[in-house]
Amino acid sequence: MEWYEALFLLLGTIVFLMAIGMPVSIAFLAANIIGAWIFMGGERGIGQLLNNGLGSLTKYALVPIPLFLLMGEIFFHTGLGGRMFNAIDRLLGRLPGRLSYVTVLGGTAFSTLSGSSMGSTALLGSLMVPEMNSRGYKKYMSIGPILGTGGLAIIIPPSALAVLLATLAQIDVAGLLIAGVIPGLILAALYIAMIWLQTKIDPTAAPAYDVEPMSFGTKIKLLMTEVVPMVGVMVVIVVLMINGIVTPSEAAAFGAFGVLILAAVYGRLTWDALRKSVTGALRVTLMAYLIVFGSATFSQLLAFSGASRGLIGWATSFDLAPLAMLLAMFAVLLLLGMFMEQISIMLLTVPIFFPLAQTLGFDPIWFGLIMLLALEISFTTPPFGLLLFVMKGVAPPDTTMREIYISAMPFILCSLFLVGLLIAFPGIALWLPSLN
Amino acid sequence: MKYVAQAYTGLLYVIAALAAATLIWLMISVILSVLMRNLGLQPFAWLFTSAQYGILYMTMLGAPWLVREKGHVHIELVTAALPRTIRQVVSRLVAMACVIVCLILAWKGVELLLTNIERRDFDVRPYYYPRWLLTFVFPLSFGLMAIEFARFVFERELMHSGEAGIHE
Amino acid sequence: EDTVTAVHAFPETLIYTKSFLSFVDKVNEAGKGVVQIEVRGGPEAIGMFQQPDAVRDGIVDMVYTPGSFYGGALPEKDAMVTSNLTAVETRANGGTALMDQIHQEKMGLKYLGWFDSGVCYNLWTRDAPEFDADGNLNVDGLKLRGNAVYNAFFSNYLNAQVIDLPTGEVYSALQRGVVDATGWTQIGLIDLKWNEFLNYRIEPCFFSTDLGVIVNNDKWNSLSPEAQKILQNVAIQHEKDSVEALRAKRDEDFAALEAAGMQVVDLEGDARVNYLAAARETTWERMKTLMSESPQGDGNYDTLISLYYDPAADR
Ligand code: NA
Ligand code: NA
Repeated sequence: MEWYEALFLLLGTIVFLMAIGMPVSIAFLAANIIGAWIFMGGERGIGQLLNNGLGSLTKYALVPIPLFLLMGEIFFHTGLGGRMFNAIDRLLGRLPGRLSYVTVLGGTAFSTLSGSSMGSTALLGSLMVPEMNSRGYKKYMSIGPILGTGGLAIIIPPSALAVLLATLAQIDVAGLLIAGVIPGLILAALYIAMIWLQTKIDPTAAPAYDVEPMSFGTKIKLLMTEVVPMVGVMVVIVVLMINGIVTPSEAAAFGAFGVLILAAVYGRLTWDALRKSVTGALRVTLMAYLIVFGSATFSQLLAFSGASRGLIGWATSFDLAPLAMLLAMFAVLLLLGMFMEQISIMLLTVPIFFPLAQTLGFDPIWFGLIMLLALEISFTTPPFGLLLFVMKGVAPPDTTMREIYISAMPFILCSLFLVGLLIAFPGIALWLPSLN
Repeated sequence: MKYVAQAYTGLLYVIAALAAATLIWLMISVILSVLMRNLGLQPFAWLFTSAQYGILYMTMLGAPWLVREKGHVHIELVTAALPRTIRQVVSRLVAMACVIVCLILAWKGVELLLTNIERRDFDVRPYYYPRWLLTFVFPLSFGLMAIEFARFVFERELMHSGEAGIHE
Repeated sequence: EDTVTAVHAFPETLIYTKSFLSFVDKVNEAGKGVVQIEVRGGPEAIGMFQQPDAVRDGIVDMVYTPGSFYGGALPEKDAMVTSNLTAVETRANGGTALMDQIHQEKMGLKYLGWFDSGVCYNLWTRDAPEFDADGNLNVDGLKLRGNAVYNAFFSNYLNAQVIDLPTGEVYSALQRGVVDATGWTQIGLIDLKWNEFLNYRIEPCFFSTDLGVIVNNDKWNSLSPEAQKILQNVAIQHEKDSVEALRAKRDEDFAALEAAGMQVVDLEGDARVNYLAAARETTWERMKTLMSESPQGDGNYDTLISLYYDPAADR
């Protein structure tokens, strides 16, 4: 079978099954069964499929996500999150869309500690979306910024994915990490501009309710009792990480534990809240990880069958100008990213793309950053970006996939705009590393 | 028959509770190993390994319960656009397809389990851990998931609401 | 023309994978019109630890992997791990033939060749290593990263609890001080950039790499005799070539590391002898125990040791 036939068969099956309403995870598994049958030698291929799934689901990298979810759920169900956002709401006064800004700022700060887009989206989604929903924000005002900042996690250091990419591509690890700082901050600024634009276009998207004026003393008291302790949990985790006491993967456990303690101190830790928190975190984890089971093995089938390698080879076989070549590689990353898991994409593309980038005269660190951005964008690209499904899991039950898709669009545009900026002004990425 | 149904439901919820307990264990194991490390002790290697295996156990043990809760995300596009009666048929057919997928995986899971026992396979990490202790979750999980999806084929309730996404 | 599909355990950019790929090139050159190897990819195609099962079940025909990844099914691979010889000697003395026979009996696999042998492992640390009064290495307080190959040695002899991290996470773990020591082969530290954080190499080195090519037996038997001959001959040649290539690479790496400030600390006297003996013997013990638990028993144990370990070579 030619690579494009294999690609068409595998992708076609999955698109069809999802379109007729098969649960996403089962659709992946069904496509895997068909693919394993064809490419792995019939019946025995299906046993291999289960083995591959076992390998994909026994990775330590998957430990933080359920714990970030648990942290967010405890915040929400014990009412601590509500109190904090009430206080922030009152402290910020009348600024329209203020909680959306809080999401971007908080999300950016959180990204500096978490290397995991999924963990970041899980935490912010379970924490912010229900709160903002109950305050009358339109859903895209909460879902969009969270999906956007979720992706920041892999650009702003520390980022496990950036380290892995640098190692695979044999480029300077520290250089790639530092290169992400300014573009990450620019992206966060673009998100803030986007929210401002959205509240201008539709002032009803974020409620402009009045807040009673407060004395300075009341403000300080509110800040100290309702905001500082909760933010303090996050700060403590960041400090633990910076000092090497915990790894980014371990930070989530301390976050969840810290919030538990805080809830106990505030007298809000009931059995009911605890049960709801664990159930809530479990629901989203199970949903997401069964998709991981299916999509990780699907990635392997795409690789094993030669479909993805064929696509990469074809797209890079034309003798094009450097910029067109860059766009071709970017498009391949986006396409693969819709269906494949990020590490597999890197393993597949790095040995081909980096030598090519070198012959085209690209700076490897700059190219590495563009590649990370492509992976990040593909994570939130409809219809199958994994973060979209995580969001579906944590958003209120009446949220449709369509609403999530529409919310994601403006923030994907911001990321694409950043890629454009990087192409026009490579210095944005390369200035900081050059100081060393 | 009634007792069989009760025992079945009991099993479904017990293994889901085990999945929830595993989630808590993830937190505890990480905290313990970090504490040990920072007290100058060397953390037990099994704390780390148990978290890795825990992800698999949690996902597979909880998955059947999630089918009952309709927690496996799906996209309502075609099903929402269809007239009511046709939607019912399509919804039941999709559920039937899910049953078939799960049954195939349950059956292959049994084969894999038997192979692992017969070959005395080990998973090689810091410890040599018998592989069948991991792979037994496949037939269990996919078997129960098949039953849960079958309920959306034969019982009154449908898997697809058609309402949430009716205008999509 | 026969086609043999293959996958490799490590990413394409790793030196050991490059070695395997050069073997593939040599086969495809020598085998024109007779036999061709078609590489399907690395861990992105089939997970690292799932590859041995895949070749056993005939999903793929050939796998390049450390024997340690299937040590549960074939504890005899520890003879290679503890070896102080290279594939050239074990090919000559019949060790490799016995290894092949055991692979066929226990796993239905043809053991085609032991590549990249003659490379051993060092313990690498961030801080200057400490020693007790007798000159033995003191591991208390070391945050040691482990791996399936040397865990038995680290935990049973050195009494260390290892922190098991995937290779990709070690860099940031070193950066943050989560681990401050790791075992690794003599080669490759620079490629992984761990030398940014590690400053000491502890000698002597212990163990040996156990990377080899395994082929599904049914597939092997279905190949034409001519194809078999080409594969086997090229493999034997590559056993030899890879020893030389990697030795050169090791000298080059060591020189570069030392130029950049890597210090070498030697264990001496009895401490050195005990260290090496412990690495060997704890591993032999594991091998014998696991062998005796298997239906085939531990009848080959002494033969394997004598073919893969030469006490005279240690002096
Ligand atoms: Na984005
Ligand atoms: Na980050």
